[in-house]
Amino acid sequence: MDPAVRNLLLRILRKIPTGKLEETLTKWTHLSRTQQQSLNYSQSKWILHENIVYLCEENGLTMKHVSELDMIYCMENPTSATWRACQLTDAEDDASSVELISFKEQFKAHLSELIRNVSIKIKKHDDESIWIRIAWGDHFSKPNHLKPTYVVHYLQTPYVFICNLSSKNKLLLHQALVLATKHGSIKDANLSGRSFHAVRDLLMGHYNKTFPTSHSRPLKERNLSPTHPNIVKEHIEQAEKRQQLAREAFGEGTVPKLERATYTLETRFRGGSGIDTFIDSERPFKTVVTFESKSLLASLRHCVSSGMAESPVSPLLSSITQKGRNYFVITDKTNKGPDMTTQSFRSNV
Amino acid sequence: MDVRRSDVDSATTPTRQRQSWRNSVRTLNTTTRPLFYSGVLTAPRVSTVRRRSNAHQIDNDVDPNQMALLVKEKWELSRVTPMYNFRYTELKAYSKNLSAFLLEEKQQGTAAAVAGYDKVFAVTFSTISGVAKTKDDAETVFIQINSKPVFAAAGDAPKVVWSGWLTCVRAAPQYLQSLPPEFVCLPVFCSSGAQSLTFLVQSWFERTFDCSFGSLDLSPTDLQWLAAIWTSYHNERKIRSLKLKWTLPSEPPLDVTMAVDGQDAWDLWDSTHQQEDANDIYIEHVKRFLNCIETHFYRHFNIHLSAGVLKRVATEGASVHIDGKVKICPEYLPSTMELLTECAILRMPL
Repeated sequence: MDPAVRNLLLRILRKIPTGKLEETLTKWTHLSRTQQQSLNYSQSKWILHENIVYLCEENGLTMKHVSELDMIYCMENPTSATWRACQLTDAEDDASSVELISFKEQFKAHLSELIRNVSIKIKKHDDESIWIRIAWGDHFSKPNHLKPTYVVHYLQTPYVFICNLSSKNKLLLHQALVLATKHGSIKDANLSGRSFHAVRDLLMGHYNKTFPTSHSRPLKERNLSPTHPNIVKEHIEQAEKRQQLAREAFGEGTVPKLERATYTLETRFRGGSGIDTFIDSERPFKTVVTFESKSLLASLRHCVSSGMAESPVSPLLSSITQKGRNYFVITDKTNKGPDMTTQSFRSNV
Repeated sequence: MDVRRSDVDSATTPTRQRQSWRNSVRTLNTTTRPLFYSGVLTAPRVSTVRRRSNAHQIDNDVDPNQMALLVKEKWELSRVTPMYNFRYTELKAYSKNLSAFLLEEKQQGTAAAVAGYDKVFAVTFSTISGVAKTKDDAETVFIQINSKPVFAAAGDAPKVVWSGWLTCVRAAPQYLQSLPPEFVCLPVFCSSGAQSLTFLVQSWFERTFDCSFGSLDLSPTDLQWLAAIWTSYHNERKIRSLKLKWTLPSEPPLDVTMAVDGQDAWDLWDSTHQQEDANDIYIEHVKRFLNCIETHFYRHFNIHLSAGVLKRVATEGASVHIDGKVKICPEYLPSTMELLTECAILRMPL
């Protein structure tokens, strides 16, 4: 076996937790059933990996097969790097008629035309998404399989999700995508996160949304000993209202797991309390605000329902779900209308 | 702790504003010392005003090579009670004693994990002059632990495995004067290196000088002070951004970081801070400065930052974490250490 292939195989194996190894190898199908049964998963990782490499050598597997293993693992566990969302724009008339085979051919043809020594692998996932693994090389070097770029696209939608893309190859990939999907251009959707599913669900709106409703929810009967029934009733009503607002803004139940949201504020100073320097001037008070949490939407929802955030929910925060973005540049509207407090969103592409 | 809290609260009300430290600093210069607090040891109180040091003066006070040692690392803070019979003339002996102590501990297996069995520790004690600002402050003591192989080859440079220093900057004079003369007060202990070594050094000090170490956690108010003080040095040391990090107790916890543009932060500070005496900083100004930033945030996001805790303040040159971790740059050193000295004295067990 080529040392490069062996090296890549070992690296991929090290990445996969032992608990998931058996399942991943079964999906891979390049080891026979008897070969798989000969593996002892309770052995130490090091011996187990050496045994797998031995079996692969026996089967004469090449770089093509090994990179497929990487792809299978990534498709099942797309949480290892930051995923950035992009949006295709200016669809041509026949954009909706693009199907898998023509996309595959077109994409491969365009990208290999733009750059030599590139290794492309395309697979369809069970949920109709197309997964593309690209190992980049250049005129003088072979494709580097250690740092592949992954691209996920849902046909007939404008959404593309990319991870591990260097700025050097960005233009090439964008061009190949635009041509293969029959669109005019592609732009950054200002949304990124470590979980592919969260980014996708947020952008494509696949999560439990609660829609605004003016109907009051029926109150449950409670066996409390109230100090004053009206006060208790009012408290319950307020709490329920906050809960409702929180759900409307950030979703219900399990929400997409987003890690952060960033706002570049270039707005006039609103700190007040007699500080005139910034109030009089048109100069913005420049601040970058970052929200971080293990699950940002769940945290924000809790902030609203617990009262740390006051109602109404700031449009800047609800825009995360409404616009499916987590990167914003906020400026004041330039025209001096009567409403001085409104802000405008300017996307940063 | 309770004493401190109540004082912080009362500090925000203007009635007590100009009574405490400002007077003390001024009267010190004119040699008349009014009676300050009765029973100083039982009731040290937190300052409501601090004096900025002149940045140019700092450069000349401390030897640049020694300054480099102080600003290189991120330090973990502890507080130390006054040390009995600590003598600056005995530093060489202390170096030997501590080396021997570490060797002994290593033979018992405690410190071996840090250096390995084939290494020995060499400790050096030295003083750093210029950090202390008044004649009552004891000189800063710097300790470095090197490890070197038992059979060192000619080219083997000793490796620094641990460093630490004890300092005292503008400690309350009435506190220092209340101590018996055989005690040396160096209340702030900064350490950087393996925890096990920190522990051993501390226990050596405790045995040798009959003192005791404790953790030096800071309060959000201390962090607010530092945010304001560091911003006030913008003309001496340009800040690109002033970073403030709050943690809100939501489920899961939410971290909010505001990185305010350095020039904007300074302009805001400048307009918050009345210009009557540029070198005095009052707690009301600090509170107002932070309040303005929090309000600016609230007007955009409708979230009360006051529901959370200010956990970290940082500029390019320095950072401080509420858990008692600090990194400093030369310009900020005197003011920061003065504040930490005060914190350490306030947290002394009585």
